[in-house]
Amino acid sequence: MPNTVPGTDLGVSLCDVTVEVERVPVLRGFDFSLAIGECVGVMGANGSGKSTLLRVLATLLPPVRGEGWVLGAPLGTSACTLVRPRIALIGHTAALYPGLSLRENLRFLARLTGRDERAADESLDLVGLAGAAERKAEVCSHGMRRRAELARVLLTEPRLLLLDEAHAGLDESSLGLIESVVNRVRADGGACVLVSHDQPRLNSVADRVVEIVAGRARHRGGIAA
Amino acid sequence: MTAGTTPAPARQCAELARKDLLLEWRAGEALLVTAPFGAVALMFVPLAVGSDVPLLRQIGPGMYWLVVLLFGVLVTLRQSAVDDQAQRAVLRLCGVSPAVRLAGRALANTVLVLTFALLLAPVAVILYDPELSGWPWFVLALPLVAVGLALLGTLADALADGLAGRTALGPLLVVPVALPLLLGAVQVLDAARYGYRPWPWLLLMLTLDLLVALAAGLLVRHLEETV
Amino acid sequence: MTLFGRRLPIAVATVAAIGLAAAMLAPPERLQGDLQRLMYVHVPAAWIAYLSFAVTLGASIAWLWRREPRFDRVAAASAEAGVVFTGLAIALGSVWGKPTWGVWWTWDPRVVTTAVMFFVYLGYLALRRATLDPMSRARRSSVFGVVAFIQVPIVHMSVVWWRALHQPPTVLQPGHPPIDHTMLATLLINLAAFTLLYLLVVRARVRLAVAEEELAARALAEGSELAGSAVSAPRLEVK
Repeated sequence: MPNTVPGTDLGVSLCDVTVEVERVPVLRGFDFSLAIGECVGVMGANGSGKSTLLRVLATLLPPVRGEGWVLGAPLGTSACTLVRPRIALIGHTAALYPGLSLRENLRFLARLTGRDERAADESLDLVGLAGAAERKAEVCSHGMRRRAELARVLLTEPRLLLLDEAHAGLDESSLGLIESVVNRVRADGGACVLVSHDQPRLNSVADRVVEIVAGRARHRGGIAA
Repeated sequence: MTAGTTPAPARQCAELARKDLLLEWRAGEALLVTAPFGAVALMFVPLAVGSDVPLLRQIGPGMYWLVVLLFGVLVTLRQSAVDDQAQRAVLRLCGVSPAVRLAGRALANTVLVLTFALLLAPVAVILYDPELSGWPWFVLALPLVAVGLALLGTLADALADGLAGRTALGPLLVVPVALPLLLGAVQVLDAARYGYRPWPWLLLMLTLDLLVALAAGLLVRHLEETV
Repeated sequence: MTLFGRRLPIAVATVAAIGLAAAMLAPPERLQGDLQRLMYVHVPAAWIAYLSFAVTLGASIAWLWRREPRFDRVAAASAEAGVVFTGLAIALGSVWGKPTWGVWWTWDPRVVTTAVMFFVYLGYLALRRATLDPMSRARRSSVFGVVAFIQVPIVHMSVVWWRALHQPPTVLQPGHPPIDHTMLATLLINLAAFTLLYLLVVRARVRLAVAEEELAARALAEGSELAGSAVSAPRLEVK
């Protein structure tokens, strides 16, 4: 099915999409596209709809009007369930269970997605958390939790990586880690969307930057090659 | 990394239940807070109605089941069973359907309600000294009550999810509907005591359990905000 | 939305006046005297209670199927009316029971089931009140509206079985003597009056809901268009 729908040559395509949260329109007439292997930065003022856009791209929030395809699945249809395992979303807050250790959190996701538990341990090692693997998520710092989330990305090997303010509050080595993870996803044939307020950072990582203004996408052109 | 193949829903359900039970084991909310509270309630009844031994022996089973019902709902609505939006998003992206997520929660709830009821049973026996000859029927009734309560609790929790008054609203949604469970459980023990067959009551409880499971299964796709 | 237009309030007033007159003029019951006249309100109220909860069930199923807001409005309006009429039926039954049976409350299966329904639908209304987003509210309350009603037969059956094992009320057996024709006619007129009143109440409540939604939509249209436009540049300046 994914090869028969429009927009399959693209990783993501949104056409004239309107999205509402609790009946309040957040995005209106929104156009967006993302090719496989591409990395797009998204900017915008507070409340402009950046996080909402990521939830739409993660197929978790269907548009009320307009059409969209993510990895070949039309948004708002049951086909989304097929592509969800190929999408990773790192949101504002860490999606870790506070009462479980970092290792238990990762191993839980590994078992849930039919992977070997050793892959979870390996991914924690790759992000430099092997020494803190037995620590419960609730006592971990913001930076450690972010790294554990990046370990989740390495574990699940997504084709579409969505990062929401992932750079905020991180030290230099963690920032480098984000870049490495993004490059790895792209190298494996995936695409990335990065939401950030840090324009220099976006310029260095993303191929082009899109700004959300008044619910619409304003393209700011290509930056890095 | 190894490529993942999404496991069967039953396997995912078991994993989710295991995670819930581990979180609850560490938080200790149901078994270290709600269970002692239930024991206090069982202890206060004789203080309220009088410590007359024949009277307590007569009302003991009823009081036990009442406390299991009222406090068992709180077990299903425990704080450690709250998934925030980020955790839920990750589960969805891991290929866990809403139905499987709720089934996992219901499974964990069943285990916890069962454990909770088993913990309170010796307390009720000590305080009320009831007739114990009908214990095999008690063993049959207990899982039916636990499953029914766990299913209703899971459903109510999903309905009150994210609402400010979740823990206040949940019991009001569950308890009136759970009336057949209370009557069934009490009558099973009464029937055993008076020497007649309690099968109709067990059947009644089983019917309620199946009906709630069927309704939850049919309506589960309406319980999540998105497709 | 017409549902009989202006004729409905006139019909309610007319039939209710006839019903009231009939209730006053009907012969008093041989044993209970004038007290029995409460039945002309109690029985219709109980009938409306069951009718309204059945309508809530139907509208909930319709909403889940079609997802049209009008079904949610009908479900909510009917549940509200149902809770009021159930409360009325229980209260009047209690007032009638005290002098007749000597107790305010009896464990008659119908009474217990009705009381359980009262609390179930109080929960339904509490769930609606707690949910602010209209879509989420309709979704949650429709699911509960279905689950709540399908439990009614099994709740009733459990209480019937439970009663069968206990001794009946000792003060006075609630008998069902053959009813006098005049009394039956009076009861039927009052049933019709209450049904029309129920329709009027639900219609008014649905209209109110539509008006509330329009007001909310207008406020949304007049005010900030997009969620993000509510945020403006800070006015605090650095000195």
